[in-house]
Amino acid sequence: MSYAGPRDLLEVDLTTRSAVRTVLGDDVFADALGGVGLAVRLIDERVRGPVDPLGPQNPIVFAAGPFASTPVPAANKHALASISPLTGLLNEGLSSSHFSAVLRRCGLAALVITGTADEWTTLAIDNGTVRFEDATPLLGCSARETTRALREEYGDRSVRVCAIGVAGEHGVRYAAVENDGRQAGRGGTGAVFGAKRLKAIVLRGRGEVRIADPQRTAEISATLRERAVGPKTAKYRVLGTGANLRVLQRMGQLPTRNFTAAVFEGAEQVTPERARESRNSYLELRAGCAGCPVQCEHLYVRKDRDRRGAAASEYESVWAFGPNCGVDDLDAVLDAIARCDELGLDTISAGSTIAFAMECADHGLVPREAFGPALRFGNGAVLVPALDAIAERRGFGDVLADGVRAAAERIGGGASRFAMHAKGLELPGYEPRTLPTYALGLSTCTRGACHNRAATYDRDLRDPSEDRDDLARASDAIAAEDRAVAWDSLVLCKFVRDCFTDFEEEASELWSAVAGISLDAEGLRRAAQRTWERKRAINARLGWTPGDDTLPERFFAEPIPAGANAGRRIDPERLLALQAAYEALRRENVGHRTLDVARGAPLG
Amino acid sequence: MTVELFGMSRALAGRAVIELAVEGPIDYAGFVRALADAVPALVPDVIDPSRDELVEPNLLLLDGRRAPRNGEQFGADDRPCVLFLASGG
Repeated sequence: MSYAGPRDLLEVDLTTRSAVRTVLGDDVFADALGGVGLAVRLIDERVRGPVDPLGPQNPIVFAAGPFASTPVPAANKHALASISPLTGLLNEGLSSSHFSAVLRRCGLAALVITGTADEWTTLAIDNGTVRFEDATPLLGCSARETTRALREEYGDRSVRVCAIGVAGEHGVRYAAVENDGRQAGRGGTGAVFGAKRLKAIVLRGRGEVRIADPQRTAEISATLRERAVGPKTAKYRVLGTGANLRVLQRMGQLPTRNFTAAVFEGAEQVTPERARESRNSYLELRAGCAGCPVQCEHLYVRKDRDRRGAAASEYESVWAFGPNCGVDDLDAVLDAIARCDELGLDTISAGSTIAFAMECADHGLVPREAFGPALRFGNGAVLVPALDAIAERRGFGDVLADGVRAAAERIGGGASRFAMHAKGLELPGYEPRTLPTYALGLSTCTRGACHNRAATYDRDLRDPSEDRDDLARASDAIAAEDRAVAWDSLVLCKFVRDCFTDFEEEASELWSAVAGISLDAEGLRRAAQRTWERKRAINARLGWTPGDDTLPERFFAEPIPAGANAGRRIDPERLLALQAAYEALRRENVGHRTLDVARGAPLG
Repeated sequence: MTVELFGMSRALAGRAVIELAVEGPIDYAGFVRALADAVPALVPDVIDPSRDELVEPNLLLLDGRRAPRNGEQFGADDRPCVLFLASGG
């Protein structure tokens, strides 16, 4: 049986304003599934050597989730991949909701965009036709404003839009791409859009999305949907990830003031639960992706303010502007998160870059008044002015717009000691000195410091005292990486991860029912491993070496100063031993091909 | 025994801290049963309907640092915390 879903590949060249539509074969879907697997395969075929991330050759790849626009819950998602201007390596992210579904209703499995437009452009894919429209009137608009303007222009509220904000227009290297209020934030794909003078993509399509076995798909989907509104997702529906803040504070592992401490004395003031409990002061709004019963997003805004300024309260965003900047003012934190969404900035990198600048200012390396209000840990008043300057590359904002690694090089004077990143990507809000398996995964992750590609922190957190050997930790890290690739290729939201009893078994059956190409659990695992190999092979061609798999010097040299985990640091020899165990297991898993692939050899 | 609550357990109990009426040290299963007796609303979202174990992602850590070993007895001085992890996506 052949692949049932939409299978077209649309390749657009912005330089020549041309588009070519081809049909992907069954072998492609059997090999790569969809989503991240397909996006990485398409990048692998096109990036065969060093590429300037902001040059015309860098492809932007959208790959639809193979369950998008089907009854499968929490699956209207797509992958977005390119070479990151922040890391210089492969970056693959995810976004979701209506845009993902309509991508498939346009008959597309994937969209590849190369070249650079002469003028600011909106790419329109409209019921089978491709147009290049003038986007000059949209310059300076947020993604939300761009969406509103394009819908008015089309006279059709059903058109779906993804767009960049001001930060992407100015080439901020951690600019996000937004659709339907969802962001593909990490790694700076928004800057790649900006470099191509691509302001927005408009989709309109009403084609049928065929399913191989509608009855079996409906049965499995109904079971998943039932589980997705039960206890397995209550944590996301009732509280959201922001609830982690109090927990990590109690455990003495809440990264604080640019990772100079692991306990934040103002944590209680900025926890989103505080806003939830202060119903007299804050309005709580709920949101979620199209077709998802979880509706995980919890947004807050003061009751005396415009509800359109409500900010999402995910843990990472609150952490980045709260504890990591030493800010204990919840309103300042929520304002900063909302401003990032308006400007089109990744909250983790933006908050981390400001925290880096605060520490630099403490050491006299940058002026305190660079953004007006004092650039000092704890000063919430500086957050929004700093974000505005970064997004427009004004003054010192231009230095910070390139991320902490590049900013440290420009500032000099030892500023690199304060640059908390892995491979150029700013760190998320977990403390590697207390989480050994997470530290390993963070160091080896092909994307840089991503907590969602090597999500082993929860394994470590479940028993902080557990003393496991190197092979066990390496095995956990590999399993987490491969599991993430499988999720991201199918593409299912990880918030329903606990709704599967046996993920590989159930997910492969679901794939077989939807796609019509038979897959079993082992086949799913192998597909994930192939994609991981491709990720590393692409990075190797872009200049990655094993020496890049490391963490900031602070974690080796500076023990946690106080709290329950005082004195803990990473032993560099231990990390190397863990990495050696990791590499040995990876070689076993892929039959010794990994190192050859890493040198640039194509996959067999 | 004073127990600190976080996440779902705190939201359902409506309190940050509860007192369990237990005499002397108890093991994990005894702790979970005592917790279910004290706050029935924790079943089934935090405590499994069997009343023998916590439902993931809720977990018991002593002083927020370590999980009790199998069969280990612990008391109030060990500062039990019902913690909660919501992994990112």
